[in-house]
Amino acid sequence: MLKVDNINVYYGKIHALKDVSLEVKEGEIVALIGANGAGKSTTLKTISGLLRSETGGITLLDEDISHTDAYKLVSKGMAHVPEGRRIFLQMTVLENLEMGAYTNDKDVKEKLADVFKRFPRLEHRKNQIAGTLSGGEQQMLAMGRALMSNPKLLMLDEPSMGLAPILVQQIFDIIKELHAAGTTILLVEQNAEMALAIADRAYVLESGRIALSGTGKELAKSDAIKKAYLGG
Amino acid sequence: MAFLTNLINGLSLGSVYAIIALGYTMVYGIAKMLNFAHGDVIMVGAYIAYITMSSLGLPSFVAIIFAMIVCTVLGIVIERLAYKPLRQATSLAVLITAIGVSYFLQNAALLIFGSAPVSFRSVVKIPALKLFGGELIVTGESMVTVIACIIIMIALTIFTKKSKMGKAMRAVSEDKGAAELMGINVNVTISATFAIGSALAAIAGVLLCSAYPVLMPTTGSMPGIKAFTAAVFGGIGSIPGAMVGGLLLGVIETFSKFYISTELSDAIVFAVLIIVLLVKPTGILGKKISEKV
Repeated sequence: MLKVDNINVYYGKIHALKDVSLEVKEGEIVALIGANGAGKSTTLKTISGLLRSETGGITLLDEDISHTDAYKLVSKGMAHVPEGRRIFLQMTVLENLEMGAYTNDKDVKEKLADVFKRFPRLEHRKNQIAGTLSGGEQQMLAMGRALMSNPKLLMLDEPSMGLAPILVQQIFDIIKELHAAGTTILLVEQNAEMALAIADRAYVLESGRIALSGTGKELAKSDAIKKAYLGG
Repeated sequence: MAFLTNLINGLSLGSVYAIIALGYTMVYGIAKMLNFAHGDVIMVGAYIAYITMSSLGLPSFVAIIFAMIVCTVLGIVIERLAYKPLRQATSLAVLITAIGVSYFLQNAALLIFGSAPVSFRSVVKIPALKLFGGELIVTGESMVTVIACIIIMIALTIFTKKSKMGKAMRAVSEDKGAAELMGINVNVTISATFAIGSALAAIAGVLLCSAYPVLMPTTGSMPGIKAFTAAVFGGIGSIPGAMVGGLLLGVIETFSKFYISTELSDAIVFAVLIIVLLVKPTGILGKKISEKV
């Protein structure tokens, strides 16, 4: 589904990603874990076209997207829920969801019904200004908004950030449901334990480099991971 | 009766400011830049209308449409050539470029149309309304200007609230990156904003010169600065704010001209702006800048 081949990304003089390669196969949940500043969000931003790699290439469904404008990727089946949710705070919940269906506004009613079924709280608040939602609701809105484009590949950047444990559990349950429904998922998380528990495979980023990769179970058992990310 | 006359004149002048201010505020909202060349687009619009009517002898509604088309194209071209390459540059570089574009337009007009003022023939054919036995005269220009301003305001509000492009504009004005992730073409959205703002500038230019019929290459600069003031006054980035700011500015200016001093009226207008900004830095209807989480 997605192949990232040897990308190098710079912020000015800072070499943020070094020779990063990774792959997400159809139907998988792949986790990308690592410490703050390791380059997780940078990787996702480069995949979705907000940043550019100096080298290598990125292919989505066998099509080269290394130089494709970010806005064109949505209609190619990619949805990116960015770090910090980035919902449109001054627009209503419903308008936010409509923006998610911007490139494909066929069957908006069905898609809305589907999102509201998954996130019933959004339906109750659909005419509310998004800035008035709680953190958990905002995360649900960000995910719902991404689902409005019917993505084949859903990229989630730290969906658990800043949420209470019970909400984190809810968000992870929803990720599992989406996966069961056939969506391929690339998940960036600092909560390594939970991410590895649901991931088919995972990559560990360390200072811009892929340090380790393997199945979720393997990595969860690995001593290096336990020491660095799982607290013992 | 003098009070009413001044109020009507003020609202009419304020309506022109409001229409111009809408262009400033929409461009600021989306591109986060102050397009100081906006005032000069007004002048270009007025000249196009003048040529269409005087030299080509075409009717006034054709003149307005021509002016709008030329200004729309001009606005898009200015954005593409001058501002788009600076999308990642510091705001200071963009500001100076905008001032440069403003001088470029003024001097180009000087070259093409000469420095001598031309007398603009009003596009309004409606006779003045005489009320209270002729004591209160409302000119056709005043009526048309105020009505045009109200129609534009309502149309823009519906456009931004209901249309797909309008919603996309609001999304881009809040968060360009997130808008792009929704599949919104940010460049097209910015061009559309410049197009709308410039078309409105053309209307403002024609209305302004119909009421004050002296047209020369610097005609747009003072109303442009006043309208910018109005946009800041009402809260820059806010469409109703531009409306309120424009109307208030027009009324304050007209009243200070009549009751205080013609020479001091501009000083008074800007003093009021400074006071408003001291009390409420975001302007009358300005939004608080929401904190990024």
